[in-house]
Amino acid sequence: MSDVLSSPRPRADAGGPADGAAVTDRVAGDDWSWLPEGTPAPDAVALTAARRQTATLLDDRGVTYGTDAPGGRSRDWRLDPVPVVIDEAEWSALERAIAQRAALLDAIIADLYGPRTLLADGVIPPEVVLAHPAFLRAVDRLTTPGPHGLVLTATDLSRDPSGAWRAVADRTQAPSGAGYAMVDRRVIAQSMARVYRQTSIRRIGPFFHALRRALDAAAPAGVRRPQAVLLTAGPWSETAFDQAYLASMLGIPLVEGSDLEVREGRVWLQGLEGSEQVDVILRRVDSEWCDPLDLRADSRLGVPGLVRAVRAGTVAVVNPLGSGVLEHPALGAYLPRAARVVLGEDLALASPETWWCGDAAARSHALAHLDELVLKHTTAAQERAVLGWTLDTASRESLAAQILADPLHWTAQERVDDATSGADGGRPAVLRTFAVGQDEGYQVMAGGLALVAPSRQRVVSSSLGAIAKDVWVIAAEAEASHDPWLLTAADEPLPRQLVAVSPRTAENLFWLGRYAERSGDVVRLLRATVDRWYDHARRPASPGGRALGVLLESLDAREPASWARSGATPATTGRAAGQDGTPEQESTQRHLRSLLLDPDAPGTVAWSVRRMSEAAAAARDQMSNDMWLPLASMERALEEEAALERAPGSTTGLLPVLDRLLEALLAVAGIESEGMVRDIGWHLQDAGRRVERSLYVVESLSATMVTAQPENVDAYLLESVLIAHESSITYRRRHSARPDPAHVLDLLLSDTSNPRSLAFQVDRLREDLAKVPSRLSTDARDRLVADIAEIVAELDVRSAAAVLDGRRERLAELLESVRWRLRSVADEIAVAHFVHPTTSRALADSWGLT
Amino acid sequence: MSRTYDLVHRTRYSYDEPVTGSYGRAVLVPRDQPGQQRHAVEVTIDPLPADSAEHVDYFGNTSTYFAVTTPHTELTVTARSRLTVDRVQADLARLPRAAWSDVGRAVRPGGTLETNGGAHLGAPPSSDPTDGIGLVALREALLPSRHVQLSPEVRAWAEPSFEAGRPLAEVLADLAHRIRTELTYKSGSTTVHTTQVELLAQRMGVCQDFAHLMIAALRMHGVPARYVSGYIETVPAPGKEKLRGADASHAWVSAWVPGAGWVDIDPTNDAFVDERYVVLGWGRDYSDVPPLRGVIFTEGSGSRLTVSVDLVPSGAEPFA
Repeated sequence: MSDVLSSPRPRADAGGPADGAAVTDRVAGDDWSWLPEGTPAPDAVALTAARRQTATLLDDRGVTYGTDAPGGRSRDWRLDPVPVVIDEAEWSALERAIAQRAALLDAIIADLYGPRTLLADGVIPPEVVLAHPAFLRAVDRLTTPGPHGLVLTATDLSRDPSGAWRAVADRTQAPSGAGYAMVDRRVIAQSMARVYRQTSIRRIGPFFHALRRALDAAAPAGVRRPQAVLLTAGPWSETAFDQAYLASMLGIPLVEGSDLEVREGRVWLQGLEGSEQVDVILRRVDSEWCDPLDLRADSRLGVPGLVRAVRAGTVAVVNPLGSGVLEHPALGAYLPRAARVVLGEDLALASPETWWCGDAAARSHALAHLDELVLKHTTAAQERAVLGWTLDTASRESLAAQILADPLHWTAQERVDDATSGADGGRPAVLRTFAVGQDEGYQVMAGGLALVAPSRQRVVSSSLGAIAKDVWVIAAEAEASHDPWLLTAADEPLPRQLVAVSPRTAENLFWLGRYAERSGDVVRLLRATVDRWYDHARRPASPGGRALGVLLESLDAREPASWARSGATPATTGRAAGQDGTPEQESTQRHLRSLLLDPDAPGTVAWSVRRMSEAAAAARDQMSNDMWLPLASMERALEEEAALERAPGSTTGLLPVLDRLLEALLAVAGIESEGMVRDIGWHLQDAGRRVERSLYVVESLSATMVTAQPENVDAYLLESVLIAHESSITYRRRHSARPDPAHVLDLLLSDTSNPRSLAFQVDRLREDLAKVPSRLSTDARDRLVADIAEIVAELDVRSAAAVLDGRRERLAELLESVRWRLRSVADEIAVAHFVHPTTSRALADSWGLT
Repeated sequence: MSRTYDLVHRTRYSYDEPVTGSYGRAVLVPRDQPGQQRHAVEVTIDPLPADSAEHVDYFGNTSTYFAVTTPHTELTVTARSRLTVDRVQADLARLPRAAWSDVGRAVRPGGTLETNGGAHLGAPPSSDPTDGIGLVALREALLPSRHVQLSPEVRAWAEPSFEAGRPLAEVLADLAHRIRTELTYKSGSTTVHTTQVELLAQRMGVCQDFAHLMIAALRMHGVPARYVSGYIETVPAPGKEKLRGADASHAWVSAWVPGAGWVDIDPTNDAFVDERYVVLGWGRDYSDVPPLRGVIFTEGSGSRLTVSVDLVPSGAEPFA
């Protein structure tokens, strides 16, 4: 099935154009007639392969859209490999029209927050603007440095029944989608490589150069190397991927409101070492939420005093605060008039015909034609659209009553998608285009983001499951290069000065290190246990069976408090302490499976991997792109195994999954050690890993070695412990005899050359922490680490291994004294380096205190 | 008659736990305008703010920003000013006699102000029929706002005052009189979240509620109306000495009477505003001009707020 956005072209098999051919021909099937002569169109097999590869490539890049809630799984971004194709001739006219529309909106916003001549002269009815909740009086008369107030605009286009483009919506508040457009292009360049290479496609990379230039141009006068940031609502915002990807495209840090602070009338980005002044804020937070002092008092996403800083001219906010008012659908009715007044030109890109219900005549029209119009309400936080023709009589009457009760906030628009999506089975589709302000006018992205509604959906919206398509503008002449990898090199701006890592990012990296290590630790312990399981599960009283029992216990042994970053509760194991073997065996089996696969229980592998992905996503602007490959591969391995729903008693399949996970975790460790710059962030991530591995050593030894086992049990148990700590080969190389407790303790606690030993971790931790500065004192942190180092250095493995009354009391004390110190180190790191947002609230109101 | 005042408005917040940052915005600088001349003004904040700034806001009020970044458990904002008020109280008998319904017909979108320049309101053809206010500002003063929602309950309550053909000036006086007589003033009886519907149900409120109610009644009948924040000088009972700090923040209504411009009327006291009143600022409703609002950073939750206002004839000893 073809799409309704591509340029119409006569089909080879349609027998030449007839009346209306342009419309109907677009719909019947994929159209490849634009391919250069001699290039065969992809067949069904190739397309199926391309679809599969597209999904995998998106997955491997961690491309997501939307989240359910904190802790929930983002949905995958859905992308159809068959592109929307637009001819250069059609595009160049469209490009000019989009640029004109952006220039018009720019002039309008300058007027609305300035002289308001357009309102006084009645070009736009004053109530359209004055009653709109996005018209923010608190930012009146604020101006933005640089050639344009409106730096980045997006315009959503659809084709009307005649095939002409209509601007169905303007996105001026904080336009999303440019990042998706770029990643879509990169993915499609690979999955459709054969077609892609045969075609001259206009590049979209230059748009990001232009945006970067525009951000610099928006900086306050006199700033020589502007520091720009992208202000995000956080990893749970619907378009978190788009925001992070755009930030890394632009080479600017991704920050949350809590990372910023207004002092002395300037905006500062708080780093671990100190603060840096911010000159330009590309915001993806809606204006109303950007400053709890001067805008919405209940916002936790903004920066108190931001409006003051903008007014002082020390920082530029892009798009300017208050720009959301331009998204008012009613403006569509007045733009043609405004274009003539403001630009002295006719509007080239019209909105669908629009009736603002605050106007009596327009309201009458709307009420009389409710069954054929789209009705939009503009007070709610989210724009609400009602499709009049989908309503029954009663709902229509109720809608009419709502309009009459609140006419200022209702706007009616003609439906646009009718002819193309109705009869022929085509689906509604929207092309989101982007324009960025340059010294001379606006530069338009040569392409964009196409969204096609899923079947039976009448509204095109990513939140309703729309499918994206890449948009190819076919160049009349080949550009210098269209190789996807050259595109990466040539089009991504070089990063400028490295910005101090923010406390929030620092925290995410630290926890990324911890969760990566924890996933690996549990995977190794599970492997060692499952290994014993196969041999000894049926004979619990045998030496091997008793060793297995200890290992199973040890999987449970870690204290809940150490599992969760905050607030989460530990895995409830549900393991029955049955006397007779069978029920216990069965529930233990479930337990092993659930320790691996249960995504909701803290402490499981699935849970840690999820947290790891979240921490990586929250610091996406710091991540190597390679990081998403192993993360995606782990999620896939876990999901595939979970989907098999094996019998409760089965341990089948555990080892292969554990091996796949280990492979991916080794890749993560490899990226860390070979692919990351040794900056503060890296040292924190490594410190997280060292703290976690230390805890793993200490806690697993507490669980397995404090209670002395008979020698024949120890033979199995200590072997497993060595395996779980990746040290059995070293041990065997050094000692020929069966494992001896003192030797095991020496290798796992004292041996500074063993990268799995406690001593090794403590050395690394000291080195890491020495490289992590803080504005606060790190004395407590450093003293604790020094204490641990001393305890480890003075450790006498012989006396630690000594048994009295069946217990290694000395070892227990030693491990406990290290363990609480490790916990305290983690706490002190949090105190010294991470953001601990003080709760903010509104001053009490003096209402009635008179 | 002109009067010169010394005005002190002090707001003090005490906290249980240290506050590490306090960002505030105040509308505490009286407007300088016909009928009210400002001679001197000073807003001081204790502890000393690391940053402060002043600007003229959307409505022409002077707005003060401050940021205190030293930890504190007490924050005091004190505004002092000296001003002369020579406002002449509106006289019902002399106010223009335009009917309220004509005013509504004139201002509304597509109304007679747009079509015949307000000639029917008696404006001479050469003059500005909006009394220099501008049609955009008048139309804005008709819109519902956060604290002024146009409800059937308010309409029903207001109905008796809007007799057909009644001059707007009389409607104003009648609404103020009815609020004064039908509703009870009781400090603490409402909060910033109380709606006009709730107010009418309980028949009890404070000056902000009364102003909002009257504004709602006027706007829904097409009469531009806005909210004024300020002070009123209190006079001690005969034989009693005036208590220091006992004056009050106050709020009232300003309505557009064609030919007279904005006319201020105080429904709490059932009177047109005279030289005992000082205007701080105005807006669509309370939320545009609260004397003080802010955001604080603290782990604690407790706070106490005390406000004292002293509006005394100049020369009297101002309170400390």
